[in-house]
Amino acid sequence: MMEVKSIGSFKELSKIFKIKEMGAIIGFVVIFIVFSILSPEFISWGNLLSTFTMAAELGIVAIGITMLMISGEFDLSVGSTFAVVPMVLALSINNKINPFLGFIFGIFLGAFIGYLNGIVTLKTEIPSFITTLGSMMFLRGILLAITGGFPIMLQEDIPFLKYFGGVCIGGLRYSGIWFIILAIIFAFILERTKFGNWTFATGGNLLASKALGINTNKVKLINFIICSFMAGLAGITTFARFKIIDPTLGQGMELEAIASAVIGGTFLSGGYGSIIGTFLGAFMIGMVRSGLVLAGAPAYWYRAFIGIVLIIAAIINTKIRKKTAG
Amino acid sequence: MNNNLVEMKNIKKNFGKVQALRGVDFNIGRREIVGLLGDNGAGKSTLIKILVGYEKADEGEIYFEGKKVFFNSPKEAREMGIETVYQDLALVNLLPIWRNFFLGRELVKGAFLSIDEMKKITYEYLKEIGIFIRSPEETVFFLSGGERQAIAIARAMYFGAKLLILDEPTAALSVGETKKVLEHVMRVKEKGVSVIFITHNIYHVYEVADRLVILEKGVKVGDFKKEDVTPQEIMGMIARAAGVIV
Repeated sequence: MMEVKSIGSFKELSKIFKIKEMGAIIGFVVIFIVFSILSPEFISWGNLLSTFTMAAELGIVAIGITMLMISGEFDLSVGSTFAVVPMVLALSINNKINPFLGFIFGIFLGAFIGYLNGIVTLKTEIPSFITTLGSMMFLRGILLAITGGFPIMLQEDIPFLKYFGGVCIGGLRYSGIWFIILAIIFAFILERTKFGNWTFATGGNLLASKALGINTNKVKLINFIICSFMAGLAGITTFARFKIIDPTLGQGMELEAIASAVIGGTFLSGGYGSIIGTFLGAFMIGMVRSGLVLAGAPAYWYRAFIGIVLIIAAIINTKIRKKTAG
Repeated sequence: MNNNLVEMKNIKKNFGKVQALRGVDFNIGRREIVGLLGDNGAGKSTLIKILVGYEKADEGEIYFEGKKVFFNSPKEAREMGIETVYQDLALVNLLPIWRNFFLGRELVKGAFLSIDEMKKITYEYLKEIGIFIRSPEETVFFLSGGERQAIAIARAMYFGAKLLILDEPTAALSVGETKKVLEHVMRVKEKGVSVIFITHNIYHVYEVADRLVILEKGVKVGDFKKEDVTPQEIMGMIARAAGVIV
């Protein structure tokens, strides 16, 4: 049992302000208030739940990328993986292959993409920025070549897909539930397991980690796999919602996922970050998207606004970090 | 049977045509602090690298606790109780003290870290050897150079070092911090651990050392009990060896 602590003491208060996610929490509250004022519709349950669903599909990708970024590597191919994995599932189903087998194969392929990204990066010692830029283009090219650029529609109803993108209660879809569960699981892995500790250490000081006997390449490789696996899973939630898949699905998503992580306080340079922060970061991006629409702004403004939020968040996080982590 | 912790006998090492070590004998007693001195390129670090298994000697033998040993890697040496604190300290600045303290040797219950236990041990062990930190949750980034050095030393101690090798521990420190680190070194000895203190500043090591060993161009040119020699004499020897006329 935790001992009971006196609430309201100065020490407790300063502890609250020192938590890693403080920047993300402040940003979240500010954006929430601003859009609530601009449009009363914004705070309706219907809107908040659909916003959360949108955030979930991005957020699942962002959780994986957060793990990888903390360990000191990058993945630009998540947007392509996000499309490739459900495409494999869709093609399997349309070709009368057992849908469950297609699902397993798709997920496995997702993980395998991460494995390849990792192996190439770690064996050849080229930056993961380059490796994954290459695999991003490669996978997208394959996707376009196979489909001829046309969307693929699901030809039969597959019941189990409901548990990925279907409606759960009200406007809440299962993807939102997955997002919450995965965020909790990975927050625990990151903060409370050896592997999480090694992930922080590997990204924070590679040589020191090696000197202390940590297999840093293995840590990075596992995070590459986690990242691609999550991107594939997120792609399936989107596919399960639309029942149609466009070969351009997920384009630009890698940058939004990285933006979610950075807004949530994760370092671009590795060694520092938080899953809860990323959770809030992805939700924030979702709020901006739906908030602007509800406020009557043309959809084009969305990216411009995200850009500004990203920069402001990065500035706030840098200030906070100087007080908490240096 | 003598009672030395480490005996290195007739160690020779060549790198190509360069004779880095030309038959060096080097002993460390139990609970002894040995200052290992010499100019850059004298062979200090080569000797230590051979001792901890980082390099292999071309010739010579090493005995640890009376047994002949042969370390293939620093990891094997560490398992026997030889811990090295290098100049870069192997600390992760962005992580809190307790995570650094247990990095790579975390305590777990099932799959999860025993966080409270690790914090408690970190705080109490540091206190026990005279290092006061505000909180084990403090990030290493905010600590001074001396505090970081102390934490790296404490970590090596906690994990069962019998021999602690300190590589230029005071090189980058202020006068006040150097004094503190020297106090920690004395505490280490009180705990029954032997120390090799590598430096080229005789004044830093003289205060704490029991014995002083001087290397020059791969040869041991001096091995003195502290009482038998003054810092000025040692300085003179190092300078002469380096070709400076004093």
